[in-house]
Amino acid sequence: MNAISVSNLSAGYGADPVIKDINFNLECGRKLSIMGANGSGKTTLLRSLNGLIKYKGDIKILGHDLSSLKRREIAGMMAMMSQLSPVYFSYSIRETVELGRFARHENERAAGSLLKTSHESLVHDREMVDKCLELTGLKDIEKKQISSLSGGQLQRVFLARCFAQETPIILLDEPTNHLDLKYQAELMEHLENWSKGQTQLPDGTKVPNTLVGVFHDISLAVEISSDMIFIKNGEVLCQGEKDKVFTASVLENAYGMDVAGYMNRQRRIWGKMREY
Amino acid sequence: MNNKKTFGKNTLEVITILVCLIILGICMGIGSVDIPFADAMTILSGKIFGTNIPEDLAATTSILWTIRLPRAVTAFVVGGALALSGTIMQSVLQNPLASSYTLGVSSGASLGASIIIVTQFTVPLLGSFLLPTFGFAFGFATVLIVLAIASKFDSTLHSNTVILIGMVVSLFTNAVMTLVSSFARAHSQQLLLWQMGSFSAKRWYHVQILLPICIFGLIVTLYYARSMDIMSFGDEQAYAMGVNVRKRKKALLLLASLLTGVSVCFSGTIGFVDLIAPHAVRIVFGSSHKRVVPMSFFVGGAFMALCDMIARTAVESELPVGAVTGVIGAPFFVWLYLRGRKEA
Repeated sequence: MNAISVSNLSAGYGADPVIKDINFNLECGRKLSIMGANGSGKTTLLRSLNGLIKYKGDIKILGHDLSSLKRREIAGMMAMMSQLSPVYFSYSIRETVELGRFARHENERAAGSLLKTSHESLVHDREMVDKCLELTGLKDIEKKQISSLSGGQLQRVFLARCFAQETPIILLDEPTNHLDLKYQAELMEHLENWSKGQTQLPDGTKVPNTLVGVFHDISLAVEISSDMIFIKNGEVLCQGEKDKVFTASVLENAYGMDVAGYMNRQRRIWGKMREY
Repeated sequence: MNNKKTFGKNTLEVITILVCLIILGICMGIGSVDIPFADAMTILSGKIFGTNIPEDLAATTSILWTIRLPRAVTAFVVGGALALSGTIMQSVLQNPLASSYTLGVSSGASLGASIIIVTQFTVPLLGSFLLPTFGFAFGFATVLIVLAIASKFDSTLHSNTVILIGMVVSLFTNAVMTLVSSFARAHSQQLLLWQMGSFSAKRWYHVQILLPICIFGLIVTLYYARSMDIMSFGDEQAYAMGVNVRKRKKALLLLASLLTGVSVCFSGTIGFVDLIAPHAVRIVFGSSHKRVVPMSFFVGGAFMALCDMIARTAVESELPVGAVTGVIGAPFFVWLYLRGRKEA
């Protein structure tokens, strides 16, 4: 099954579209990186995949037409980790992660027309939240207020909240921004582990987990993804499996510089480092 | 410390509600004629459960039942409604300094009132409800205009747009009101009094209108508590978590305006309760709206009842209650804010 299929997509904020004529099919279980220079339209593409901005063309999520879905239905299939934003009201870490369960509840409520969600689903909630907190290493500090956390910790809380949404698709918007190297590595590991798993949809079918991310850091993108799509000035430059499209010439074209040469110079610098 | 807080939160909640109700009771008892507690109880049970009220309490009964009680209850309910609407505004607009007046309810209502006062327009059917009705209509119309303009500029109804348009429209409406009142200086005193706010001469029929609206508001807000939690993280995150922000925002903003509008038209534009009550509650109970919503209502109500009691008893003549809430509220707010910053 296709997790996401996009045809003739164009989207933007004003009269002129930022991204134009985008087409791709992403099978369930794949990991797609959206690549490109600043202002190329990466985030716009990601936001339109989540129905956050108006778009033209077709987007299908797990076979459903995105434009015909309600917000709670979209959130039942797809979680999104946005860039770090300020927190105005303080919740405990656990409370914040619990909010990720909202869409599931609403969907269950709508499906069963229940006034209250059943005891069973409340137990499942608690287990799920516990699991996500443990997975992200936050269980021990779950009572801490999020206003007192560092950027890295907050980012982990939001990741845990995404996991708690229990969706087969997660969208990431530069998730490693503002993160120390250690947290970057940890976050990537959490994502890697998650993407190997499956998620059971409310109707009982199991779907392999799918990841779509915009990464600032090229190396991280290469490390995590199975597929890549390169965007330049809002149009697709090149797309396909990582092995096929990750080439020096594509990088040079997409970023407007000799990326491979730059990376090689960096590698030489690291090579010169003494071990101790 | 955190453990202790969560452990006792439910108990603390019950205690807070009880304390708020006791404050309401004390406010009824204190006044130019002090009514002993036992007498008050006899009268209340007589009125509510139909037990016998002794003859010699007749005068006290009329003071307590027809003057003091409706006044204190009105103050309580108005305080609760303003606090509730402040809570909604702050969460929906993701701005801890937003208040129930951010969308121009009060300036709109004042404009409506000033037009009525200046033109001496009357509708016989409405009687003494003429001012409140028109105040409310104008206040609510102002909010609708703000929302209409805001959604025209910005289809996502971003909070900054809403706050900015709200401010602009408020200032404009205020200016028009100043113009209107400058044409009729003879009425400026009456207008000023209306704006300053007062709970004097409130009777049970005021409560009969206010209370159902507030209870309705409280229930609807509680129903949306989770959505409000989610929306306080910002529009984009809320959408991604499954809340239809645009729709919910409109509904909640209109609800908050309804609560403020009704309060303003019965008691004038009384500030600070809407700002302080939710803040104080968040500090003690955390941000979860399941707790913040009901607690704000009770704390706001008790604070307003207390301020009204001070307003009518502090000096011989009655003080404007809006001034009392400001004089007590402003320093308290600064203290609260600085204390919060020190901890952070």
